[in-house]
Amino acid sequence: MIEDKNLVEKALQGEKKAFEMIIQKYQQPLLNYIGRMVGERELALDFTQEVFIKTYSSLHSYKPQFKFSTWLFRIASNFIIDYWRKKKIDAFSIDHQKNMDKDLPPIQVPANEESIVNKFETVQLREKIERALERIPGSLREVFVWRHINELSYEEIAEIKGLPTGTVKNRVFQAKELIRILLEETP
Amino acid sequence: MRCLSIEQIYLYLEKELSPAEDRKIHKHLAACPKCKKAVEERRLLLQAAESLPLWKTPPDFAQQVMARIFPERVSPLAWLGAAASGFASMILAIVIFALVTGQSLSSLLFNIYHTGLEFLKNLSPLLVKILKVASLLVKILQQLGELLIKGLTLLTTIISPQVQIILILVAIVFIASSIYGIRRKLFIGEKA
Repeated sequence: MIEDKNLVEKALQGEKKAFEMIIQKYQQPLLNYIGRMVGERELALDFTQEVFIKTYSSLHSYKPQFKFSTWLFRIASNFIIDYWRKKKIDAFSIDHQKNMDKDLPPIQVPANEESIVNKFETVQLREKIERALERIPGSLREVFVWRHINELSYEEIAEIKGLPTGTVKNRVFQAKELIRILLEETP
Repeated sequence: MRCLSIEQIYLYLEKELSPAEDRKIHKHLAACPKCKKAVEERRLLLQAAESLPLWKTPPDFAQQVMARIFPERVSPLAWLGAAASGFASMILAIVIFALVTGQSLSSLLFNIYHTGLEFLKNLSPLLVKILKVASLLVKILQQLGELLIKGLTLLTTIISPQVQIILILVAIVFIASSIYGIRRKLFIGEKA
């Protein structure tokens, strides 16, 4: 398997096939991230194409000391932020509110916690999670998708967003608990 | 050990804790049914989240992106080939038409030439006229626009904002009544 850095080098030397291999490697993870962020398949496919085009045009600015995947996801994340800003959709709120990152006192398990997993069948539970995911703030949704759908490490997510790992862990935790609360509220 | 916090549960499930912390939690879970239930609950939730259906790209997705990054340029030779094949098909069509109708090829070619020439003769003065009128209109509109901007700038420097509002209102009423008058005149004209 050729390393990403070598593929980038070859693409910069004009080898078209090298960039095609990059697309083939990252099309699925990128679509899964963008798809969950915009919610529409056609729009997500279009945006994924745009992100690859943007990536190709700024390939010369890629610094090999960083992981290529994190650099690619950063381009995608900025693309999504720009899109929502242009659309003026506040609901997305990718600009995480500062007070949400504050160290909160640890939340203990309630005495009589309702079981979510017993409430729904597995398929139904997945559907409910998808719907709940659409309802949580973009800044939390983004890190949740990277962590649990794209299976990136907390360190990788921290590198993409330029945030401390602890903050990322906190956001992913908040996303999961928010999804749980939304599932609890779901009839 | 105290009962687990929810954050600790997630970090434990994702194996993000140190071996020492991990051992402590493991020991606590063996003795605390409430925390054990909470861990199990979140384990299943995470499993469900991690097995969400994946979005698939179409099989030709990479080719589509590549085609957008490197649009194919048609070489001059290909253009020449296309023009030559177009010309050849035209000749073939004329020959077939001549064979089917029984007309001689020379008279057919003469007719085509004659009709084409007539068409061009009629079309060219019309095109010239349209172009002249369009360029004249553009010039007039440009000058009018410049005048309007100059006038408005001058007005805003001399006249107070209150008077400006009154003037704008008067202008609107004047324009609206003019439009109404023109429409009425046209309507009467149609009736007559």
